[in-house]
Formats: sequence, structure tokens, C-alpha cells
Amino acid sequence: MGRAFIKRTIIGLIILLLPLSVIFAQSISFNGYVRNYTGFLLTGDNDYSIVQNTFNLNIEKSSNKVAFKVSPYINHYQNRDLEIGLRQAYLDVFFSSMDIRVGKQQIIWGKADGVFITDVISPKNLKEFLLPDFDEIRMGVTAVKVDYYMGNNTLEFVLVPLFTPTELPDRNSIWSPKMDFPVSPVFDYSKEEVSQSLKNSEVFLKFSVLSSALDFELMGGYMWDDDPTLHSTKTIDMSTMQVTSLNIIPQHHRLGLLGGSFSTTLGGFVLRGEGAYYFDKYFRSTERTLSEGVIPKDYIHYLIGLDFSIIDIKMSVQFIQQVVLGYNDFIYNNQFDNTMTVLARKDFLRETLALELFAYIGLNDGDSLVRLKATYKVSDGFDVLLGANIFSGISGKFGQHRDNDMLYVKLKYSF
Amino acid sequence: MTIKKFQILILAILLFASFVYSQKQPDGLEIIKKVYNRETGNDQTAQLTMTLIDSRGNKRVRTIKQLLQNGKKVEKKIMFFVSPADVRNTSFMNWSYSKEGKSDDQWIYLPALKRVKRISSDSKSDYFMGSDFTYDDLGDRQPAADNHKFLKMEKIGNDECFVIESKPKEEDYMYSKTITWVIKDKWIGKKKEFYDEDGELLKILEVKDYKKINGYWIILHSEMKNVQKKHSTEMSLKDVKINTGITDRQFTERMMKRGI
Repeated sequence: MGRAFIKRTIIGLIILLLPLSVIFAQSISFNGYVRNYTGFLLTGDNDYSIVQNTFNLNIEKSSNKVAFKVSPYINHYQNRDLEIGLRQAYLDVFFSSMDIRVGKQQIIWGKADGVFITDVISPKNLKEFLLPDFDEIRMGVTAVKVDYYMGNNTLEFVLVPLFTPTELPDRNSIWSPKMDFPVSPVFDYSKEEVSQSLKNSEVFLKFSVLSSALDFELMGGYMWDDDPTLHSTKTIDMSTMQVTSLNIIPQHHRLGLLGGSFSTTLGGFVLRGEGAYYFDKYFRSTERTLSEGVIPKDYIHYLIGLDFSIIDIKMSVQFIQQVVLGYNDFIYNNQFDNTMTVLARKDFLRETLALELFAYIGLNDGDSLVRLKATYKVSDGFDVLLGANIFSGISGKFGQHRDNDMLYVKLKYSF
Repeated sequence: MTIKKFQILILAILLFASFVYSQKQPDGLEIIKKVYNRETGNDQTAQLTMTLIDSRGNKRVRTIKQLLQNGKKVEKKIMFFVSPADVRNTSFMNWSYSKEGKSDDQWIYLPALKRVKRISSDSKSDYFMGSDFTYDDLGDRQPAADNHKFLKMEKIGNDECFVIESKPKEEDYMYSKTITWVIKDKWIGKKKEFYDEDGELLKILEVKDYKKINGYWIILHSEMKNVQKKHSTEMSLKDVKINTGITDRQFTERMMKRGI
């Protein structure tokens, strides 16, 4: 994107928004935040892992019958083009027992914290791994969402006519997943794009109940796998049986799933659970009979979690398991992949200071990511956050980033 | 009159006096029950402003829109946070049950997570949004949870008050006792002292303003002072509307997400 184009876009936005803000200032709500986020690595020369300036705006208006929300954002980096986008831009129409939302929107399902099981509608932005705030990890999708209400029961239907894949880190990013290939591969992206047609839409249905005894959700979806499967073709030197060339062809596949989640209180505890059965998810395999090194298998992903307090420290623990059904030893993934998360948080000084620890622990590889945060409210709306992300282990989802331990500071002013 | 007869007469007078006194002595439990059961209408909407004042006089202001529904078996409350900006659009819902021993149900909606999350209501001693009010101070503590004793009558301003001492039946409760000044005939707790677990005075709640709206006495302005830490919280209600016909549909996940 050229600088001239960016300049024109910003000027265009300002020209568009200024008169609108004057005309509608009485009835339209403008809020958002300005943030500086600076992080540096604890290894090597202490390179900056991120220096980002963000302006995020929410423009909202609501009445009894209709509402809209537009959330433009600008991310500025020192040596990169400006990122300008719309986190969300949707219209709401309210009826007596039904709401319809049309436009770009973030849709969040399930009861899990920091784990994505039935929360599959909004794709993830993993450019900075799992580190951004939750409302920045989940990207908006253009969708039609219809909610039909029966007391505290809700039937929700979502149609996503345009597929949006997971945003992966650039190949040269420090967050790019480490992959082991026998030879340096050639990437062929010709089959990665899912053509935008009604036939390629995604559909989801959810029934949810909120009651005194139990909250639960039952859901189903017919979607595309947001993460591309890495198909591969290779040439083997028959004399040495060594791979001499390797083509990697990322490709998205259709995926069906059924799932559900619940939460309930048990004395001072909140018990949560979430699970999904995925049909024909594609996995990489070394089985020689497979022409492109991938195989579809049914797959289960679930968690059980408990929230509680100990001496005014709010705690939450989750156990997560992923199971590949019909497993064989040629499949790259583990048959059982077990992870735990632990959250501990305590507020001080009349909730002006908060200390938090959140850890992902990979039980198969013995790796982990420990996230420490101290947030101080200098005044209402102005927060200073000091944080550390510490990776440990050698391999696994977290251990592969062992060189990316970082300290960071976020200054955020909300208005 | 012999000395013996004189002694019997004195004893009889004392017995009669103590009998008369015991007949007139108000019952602490009954008074607290009247405060607990004071009618405040079937429903209420209001804007709540909470001002947190630290020991140096610095102020932080929170604005909340709240809706209440008083059912026979369940009291439902929903709060929408309007300001400050970083908590805007957060909402909190509480269902409180009249059935003894049944805990409240509570949910919170955080706009960043875009999800309604069930939370435990057991942390009654947690302070609400960094204020001097605990969740228990804000809720209606059931009269049966404490032993109540009438201490005396005392006037605060123009209000004649019953002074009631309440000691918790449960061990390890956050307060060792409370003393409440209840306005006679209006059944409003005009003032309340909270004593910590060591029996030291911790906080004083004072009602600064109350008004009859639609025939119900409503507290409009109160102040909670922490006398040990020298900070305080003021709470004031405005735009109070009673019996506007709020239905169950207002106390749902839909409304928590949709907001004000």
C-alpha cells in the first residue's frame, strides 16, 4: 500500500467523519482509546519485539429499533506501513423477540478463557502469537446474525458468506511457527484462497440457556478450517531414499463440528466445561500411500475449568485435551495433546493496581508461556501496564518461542 | 412499716418496673425485619453515581444505570456501567432469592470478551468497584443471619431512631458487629457503624438524603466512610422512577449485551 494512498485514505476519513461528528455529536457516542505498546526481547541485543501506536475509535448509536457500531483503528509502526482497518462495522435491527445484526462483527461463543473450542466463527489474528488483547486476536467477519429469544433461551443463527482465514505471522516474524522439513521447501499458495461465493459460505447454529442452576450452549457449524492444512509433494532420490525437493501447498478444508459448553456454581466455585467434535479435520502425515501427506480424521477438543477465590486472589484453572480419533503413528500431531491454563489475579489500592499471572502449560512437551502483568490506573481511563512474557521448554507450541521472552509496557488512555 | 415490709415493697416496685420496661422494649429483630421488608415498589430505574474519595481528597467517579425488579421469590438487578470510559458497556446482573440459604446468581458482561460470564456470588466481602461498599453492604442481608438487640432510642437531626446492635451468627464474618440507627416509622437505616473482626470501628454509613417517591421512601444520597483508612465513597441516585412496569425481559443475557 503506497504512502500517497494511505494519506488520501486518512484525509478522506477525516473529511467524512468531521462533519458527521458535528451533525450527530448530540446523539452518536464516540469512544475509544489511544495506546502505545513497546516491547523488547530479553535475549540477544534486546531487539524491540514491538513498537506500536494505536488509535481505536468506536462510533455507536442505538435506539429502540435500530443501532449501529463502527470501530475504525489505525496501527502505526516505525518501519512498516500504517495498518488502517475496521474492527467492526455493523447494523442492528431489533424486534420484539428477535435481533438481526448485519455487517462486520466479532462473534464469540463458548465458556473457555484463552482457548478456542466452539469459539470458531471469528478467525484469529496470530501475527503476534496469542499475546494481543482478546478483542484484537479475534477478527471481525462479515456475517448475518439472527437471534431469536424465548425468555432466557436464545436460538442464534449465523451466516458467514465470505470466508476469512486465520491471520498468520509473516515468514520472517519471530512468531512464525517453527516447522521441521527435511529440505528447504518451496511454498505454493495457488490453492490457499477460498473463492468468495455463496456456495463457500459458513453456517452456524447455537441454542443457549441462562438459568439459575446452569448456563449452557449447544452448537453446530459447517465451516472452513481457518488454519490451512499444509499439503506437500516431494521428490525422492531413489538411490539414497532422501527427499530432494519439497513443495508445500497450503489449503483450507471444509469442516463440520458439533459442540457445547456449560457453567454452573458449586458453592464458591464456578465449574465450566466446553467441548466439540470435529468431523474430518485434516492432519499432516508421513504415510507413504498419501499423495499429498495429509489425512482427514475426526477430532475432539474439550476443556474443564474451575474459577474460585483464595484469600482475595481470583483463581481460574483449566485442563484442555485434544484427541485425534482413528490415530496412527504417521500423523504429526500427538494422539492426545494436553494443556493447562492457570490464572491468578489480585487487586490492590481500591482496584487501582492489579497484579495478574496467566500461564499456558503444555503437558506433552513440558513447555509453557507465563504472562505477568501489573496494571496501575493513574487516573480514570489512563492505565499503565508493565508486563512480561516468559516462554520455557524446547519444543511444543510455547517452547518453540523460547527465544522470545519479552518485557513490555502499554500506556493506554480510554475516552 | 417494718424493714421487711419495706424491702418487699421495693422489690415489688422493681419487678413491676422491669416488667413494664420489658413490655415497652422494642424487639431488635422485628425492627430489622421492618427495614428489610420496607416496600420500595415493584420495580425501579435510576442513575447511580458513585464517587470514590481517597485520603487526600482526590475523587474518582463511576456512573451506572440500574434497573431493579422486586419479585416475591426473586429480586433481580441489572447494572450498566456508563463511565469511566474503560468500563463503559460492562454490565452486571444479580438474581437474589428470598429462600433462606440460596446464594445469589451473578453474571458479568465484559465488552472486550463479548461474552456473558457467570461469576461466584460467595465473595460477599469483596469491595464493589473499588468503593467502600462490599457486595454484602449493597445487598439486603437477611435478618435471620444476625442476632439483633435493641440498645436505645436516639435522635439524629429531626429523626427519632431505634439503635440496634446486630451480631453475625456465622463465625469469620467480615464484621464482628454492626450498629444501626433506624428511623422510627420510616424504617430507613439512617446510620450504620461497622466493626471489624477485632471489634474496632471500621466504617460508618450515613444516609444524607431520602425522599418519598410514588409513596415509597427511597434513599437518594449516602456516604460510607472508612475511618481506619480515611477514605470514603458517596452514592447518589437520580432520575429515580418507580413502578414503570419493568418486565422479566429486561433481566436477560440479551439486555446485558445490548446495554442501555
